[in-house]
Amino acid sequence: MDKCSTAGRRVIAGSLLLMLIVPVLAACGSPPAAQVPTKAPTAAATAAATAAATVAPTAAATVAPTAAPTVAPTAAPTEAPTAVPVNTQAVYTEGALLAVTAKECGNGYSGNLKAITAVDPATVKFTFCTPDPAFRAKAAFASFAILPSEYLTSTGGTGDLLKKPVGTGPYQIESWIPGDSITLKRFDGYWGEKAKAETVVIRWSAEAAQRLLELQSGNVDGIDNPAPDAFAGIAADTTLQLKPRPGLNIFYLGTNNAFPPFDNEKVRQALAIGIDRERIVKNFYPAGSEVATHFTPCAIPNGCAGAAWPKYDLAAAKKLLVEAGFPNGFATTLEYRDVVRGYLPEPGRVAEDVQAQLKDLGITATINVVESGTYLDMAAAGNLKGLYLLGWGADFPDMTNFLDYHFGGGASKQFGAKFDDIVAALQKGASQPTDKLRAPFYVEANNLLAKHVPMVPIAHGASGVAYKADVKGAHASPLSSEVFAVLDPGGRKTFTWLQNGEPAGLYCADETDGESLRVCEQINESLLAYEIGGTAVQPSLAESCDPNTDLTEWTCKLRAGVKFHDGSAFDANDVVTSWAVQWDLANPLHKGRAGQFTYFSALWGGYLNAPPAK
Amino acid sequence: MAHRMTTLARTSSSEGPWRRAWHQFLRQRSAIIGMVMIGLLASTAIFAPLIAPSDPIDVLLNKEEGIKKRSGPCIHILGCPAAQPQHIMGVDGNFRDLFSRIVYGARLSLLIGFVTVAISLSIGTLLGAFAGYIGGWLDNLIMRLLDVVLAFPFLLLAIAIVSVLGPSLLNAMLGIAIVSIPAYARVIRASVISAREEDYVLSARTIGAAPASILFGHILPNAISPLIVQATLGIGTAILDVAALSFLGLGAQPPTPEWGSMLSAERNQVFTAPHLVFIPGLAIMVTVLGFNLLGDGLRDALDPRLKR
Repeated sequence: MDKCSTAGRRVIAGSLLLMLIVPVLAACGSPPAAQVPTKAPTAAATAAATAAATVAPTAAATVAPTAAPTVAPTAAPTEAPTAVPVNTQAVYTEGALLAVTAKECGNGYSGNLKAITAVDPATVKFTFCTPDPAFRAKAAFASFAILPSEYLTSTGGTGDLLKKPVGTGPYQIESWIPGDSITLKRFDGYWGEKAKAETVVIRWSAEAAQRLLELQSGNVDGIDNPAPDAFAGIAADTTLQLKPRPGLNIFYLGTNNAFPPFDNEKVRQALAIGIDRERIVKNFYPAGSEVATHFTPCAIPNGCAGAAWPKYDLAAAKKLLVEAGFPNGFATTLEYRDVVRGYLPEPGRVAEDVQAQLKDLGITATINVVESGTYLDMAAAGNLKGLYLLGWGADFPDMTNFLDYHFGGGASKQFGAKFDDIVAALQKGASQPTDKLRAPFYVEANNLLAKHVPMVPIAHGASGVAYKADVKGAHASPLSSEVFAVLDPGGRKTFTWLQNGEPAGLYCADETDGESLRVCEQINESLLAYEIGGTAVQPSLAESCDPNTDLTEWTCKLRAGVKFHDGSAFDANDVVTSWAVQWDLANPLHKGRAGQFTYFSALWGGYLNAPPAK
Repeated sequence: MAHRMTTLARTSSSEGPWRRAWHQFLRQRSAIIGMVMIGLLASTAIFAPLIAPSDPIDVLLNKEEGIKKRSGPCIHILGCPAAQPQHIMGVDGNFRDLFSRIVYGARLSLLIGFVTVAISLSIGTLLGAFAGYIGGWLDNLIMRLLDVVLAFPFLLLAIAIVSVLGPSLLNAMLGIAIVSIPAYARVIRASVISAREEDYVLSARTIGAAPASILFGHILPNAISPLIVQATLGIGTAILDVAALSFLGLGAQPPTPEWGSMLSAERNQVFTAPHLVFIPGLAIMVTVLGFNLLGDGLRDALDPRLKR
């Protein structure tokens, strides 16, 4: 046999190895290389990059000027510089007292907020284009927390801000070990009643069984969302206490009308009556849950205005599918994230039951589990093309929090193109001063939702929080915002909390996930707050917020003597800056984690300097 | 003289190597147990429609009176109240009969084991045989490539492959098959190299046999016994690995009755409905154990050096 010389073999083997190693090394080396442009720019370039980063998300939106962002800002600097937002709509008043004003209402600006003005160091005035009766409930939300303006500026609106927020809350952040835990420590300069426990440790686990086991073994003092099957066991255990959380939420089967066959309204209407919603709630939800008659829970004023959702009728649903041109059904995907939420206690089981029910309708659904963060981003960007399971927990008890966020003019592309009649009804409903005057518009909006069926509302899910029996002040919040400062873990110094998932970031102006919001709420405070374990709005950083007679102006008197964790004093300028960075796309600090600031647009109607709709 | 020797040789080996191995095999209790386990499993798989009381993906809610979600095993002759429908392994979280799912899962698992091994075995054998027989730079090229595959953690590489191809049972099998190729290739290469220098190969070469016919006609048949052992053990490993991928949601997709995904789906019920976690787990364990016992028995039987 012919044999290569030993040396020859070595050369070949060596070169082969090199061929294999080089691409691997190159691949390993490339991510940092790709990041260089986002980090390196000089002063001028930074400004341009900032600008590009802030506008690009909305530049991709096509539906409305305020449609939610779709592109991650990290990718933006490579995009054409034509996307740089030029400030044409905002007027900044500089000096000792800041103010930001929209040049005009309408004419390219879709938002409702007209101006934020620091009247004096202890007074801020919010002016609106049309009356906003829900201002107090909205302004209390965690996304609109007040941060020191100096800190916002020094971090550039991103970076450290995401991991080390500075606020006025009873706890300040000590450390965040990614993938492991977040540690908060008591802020001794807090203006209100000091926190009971010196330290709070927040950990996370997606597995309900593990959370319960850790509570039983004494590793943690409180856990979120135990599995429904475990409720009875916890209630019977004298070493534990169960706090039920009412179902101020909605779980729905979503569609997106941008993708066939869900562009056909008849198909969506078939789904509306083709899913046995009662069967799902009865079999997969804990006691206290309700079958959804409307998208909004009835506990919210006007939530159950209009006709109840039509009854389950398989034969009629099949007939509708035939009329829609699908006598033999069709194939689609059924996507969900395997994360337990108050509105969805058993994601996998419910997904498989929906899959089985769809099969009865003749629809073959392939189940696809998507990672949680990716899933939410896909939903916001309108990239969930088939059917999907998603839900919503109340942030504040107002119709706008449910309907406007999902179906209003400022909503994302999650359900595809917006329904003009729904948008119009919601716009009118939001601008009436009283719940009674708002009612007819929400009757209309709810009835239109049942007609267009952008989603099928299924359940208002009850859930729970479990604590060790010796934890004093134990409570469950219907808004999922439990306040750790009032919890006394049986005299121990540390309160350890185990929730479902890790926060994505702690600058909550740019977060939507409840796992992030709850942590933010311990550190940061808004002008107003929700009562502990309830939904009523009460004073916080503002001692009062009062409207003028036609509800177009809200004047907030700020609390005196409030200090931030970094020692700086809280004043009206901090309020103006904290809001303006979210409001104005051209603001150099409008960056955040993903640059989406979804809540701002959804609740206040739109951004300043948003690119025009195509 | 020469004629007589051949006759003698033929008489002494009249039992034949395979027959001898079979006798050797029967002498080991654990191997027999393994074979019986696999036999039972295979018959369960073949006769699944006859054994299973219901369709494995059929939701029995509204079809059976008194069915309860995640209720434990209920066998009427063992004292389970008649009002409760009989489900000998209980009911799962979606109101399906667990026993039917386990039975159909056997079918799936065996299929997974055999197909996965068949894929990696055929590719691995070809690569290993060529590498061993031809040698030189080809040997180097093939074996170094396989070394690279081996350098990755087994399951991580499989996960990477499935992530690229998309989660499905077929892709999970393909992923596991690809990462198991090097094991087979190495075994066959070693056998081929040692067989290559044997006298009968030399004689075949002397009479002018084509290289391909020497490799496939003479060397491979004589190098195959370690491969049989490797493959038998490999079936057990493949079943385990595909179950692991399914547990992670990368293999069988719901509502397919695959043991790994069944285990994963009810993992949070380990305290409240343990039968839903332990029964699929036991099924995986018994199957893998069966193949391992069988494989060990085969190794002892086929390896002349281990003769007692």
